[in-house]
Amino acid sequence: MTSAVDKAALAKRPVMPRTARILGFAALALALGVAMPWLVSSKLTLSLTTQAIVDALLATSVGFLVLQNGRVSFGQAAFFGLGGYAFGVLVARQLVAPEVAFLLALALPTLVAFLLGLVFARIAGVAHAMLTLAVGQAFYEIAFRWRELAKGDDGMSFELPQRIFGFASSSLQDPAVMVVVAWSALVLALAGLALFVNSRIGQIAAAVRDNEERARFIGHDTAIPPAIVYAIAAFLAALAGLLQATYNGYIAPQMFHWSLSGTALIMAVVGGAQFIVGPAIGAVCFFFLKDFAGRFAEFWPAIVGTVLVAVTLLMPQGMVGLAFRLWAARRSKP
Amino acid sequence: MSANLAIQGLGVERRYGGFRALKGVDIAVKRGEIRGLIGPNGAGKSTLIDVLSGRVRGQPGKVLLDGKDISALKPQERRRLGLARSFQRTNIFPALSVEQQLRIASWAVTDAGIEEVMAELNLTALARTPAAEISYGDQRRLDLALALVGRPSVLLLDEPAAGLTVEESHGLATILRDLANRWNVTVLLVEHDMQVVFSICDGITVLHLGQTLAEGGVAEIRADKRVVTAYLGTEA
Repeated sequence: MTSAVDKAALAKRPVMPRTARILGFAALALALGVAMPWLVSSKLTLSLTTQAIVDALLATSVGFLVLQNGRVSFGQAAFFGLGGYAFGVLVARQLVAPEVAFLLALALPTLVAFLLGLVFARIAGVAHAMLTLAVGQAFYEIAFRWRELAKGDDGMSFELPQRIFGFASSSLQDPAVMVVVAWSALVLALAGLALFVNSRIGQIAAAVRDNEERARFIGHDTAIPPAIVYAIAAFLAALAGLLQATYNGYIAPQMFHWSLSGTALIMAVVGGAQFIVGPAIGAVCFFFLKDFAGRFAEFWPAIVGTVLVAVTLLMPQGMVGLAFRLWAARRSKP
Repeated sequence: MSANLAIQGLGVERRYGGFRALKGVDIAVKRGEIRGLIGPNGAGKSTLIDVLSGRVRGQPGKVLLDGKDISALKPQERRRLGLARSFQRTNIFPALSVEQQLRIASWAVTDAGIEEVMAELNLTALARTPAAEISYGDQRRLDLALALVGRPSVLLLDEPAAGLTVEESHGLATILRDLANRWNVTVLLVEHDMQVVFSICDGITVLHLGQTLAEGGVAEIRADKRVVTAYLGTEA
């Protein structure tokens, strides 16, 4: 029974203001995405932006694990690769309808991550990082050595079917279309994560991250909420892999490689893994920094590395963290 | 078995390899009673709380809550049945605000009323402050508040006054006595501060070397020569 004090407090609260704000921002961002092909005429820029958005999705996946479960993963590329491979192999071999392949490419990694998450959530620190690395590399080795699956280390090109969900598939390889699709996917993913973090299950997952033992002793199950976070993170990684495979019409074992997970983690840290949008912003900045440095120097990784060291030292909470600090400082001034 | 008993431990054992920390302890706390559990360090007090609360399971002996055998249940299942506990070391959610963590705690049980719990424990003014930023004394009260959300039927408290000033300890004792009466909560209290124990407990169980040394009312225990020799000393 809710007490009178509770009812009074509840009555004072506005009806889901945070949800309305999140949905409002998402609608604005979606509109901006739809306008992007009209605002940017260069196909190359649109193509690079598409790739940056795919990276942003993968970085968001890695960052979400840090934010919500407090876990660092070096194996998130496993789900990126699984999403791409499931779609590519099923479509290339015409084993199922393309729509089913599309859905399976998202569902399979999500389910695998949920089951793994039931175990991974119990392991913390370096052991967790090593475990995710090992599992991710196991997937890489399978894709690398199993030639019958998708031509092993050579990778495999595949033709998209004529139509998917009633739309002409060829348009998905047009940067002017794919940039809108990828951007919409990213915006919806970020809005979904923001809603999840504020949901009951999201807050319970945060409590488990903060103090698993106490979460048990206040009456909550401590296995399922973190496993759901793993599943959501894998869904995002799989979505990124699926978009990349669809856009390029090509899958290769490098999609599973740990270095991809490591790069995504760097992007998340640079952007600010304590914030939902941090990793995505970090990924876009990282991508264009890499592209910019690559145009001017052969030794571009050294330039990128130097910039990253500087950013990490000067902004321990990432770019978004710095922005929040500056904003807070400005607001506190009389 | 009396229907008037809120919680019972029957033949409770706890072994660490060859060492028996609890040697078949029997304990029974009546409904509405505040029972003190005292004894020297290493007597097995916290271990007994761990067994009763489900932190330790799979050991010989039984735990009954309102007459129901809960020995096989996990801590979260025991909590949902009305058995709550606090910890010797402050055990809260540092990154979450006071209100947020109490709200999360309320989702696991019925009759939440977190505003009421915050008011009773003087935490209302700190509702939006992250737990890491409040004082130690406030954190101890938050630890207790987490256990009190949903008005549990049985509360196991492991040294709630540890590290508090004399004034804070007395304040906590007053709150405990008051809430136990008004909310009809049965309390099993492990505490080294004998002033707190003697002032609020209806009865006392004394553990020594993993066994029950004595059991009885406050005056009876204070006069028991075995207890005085093993734990209280002549000053008590």
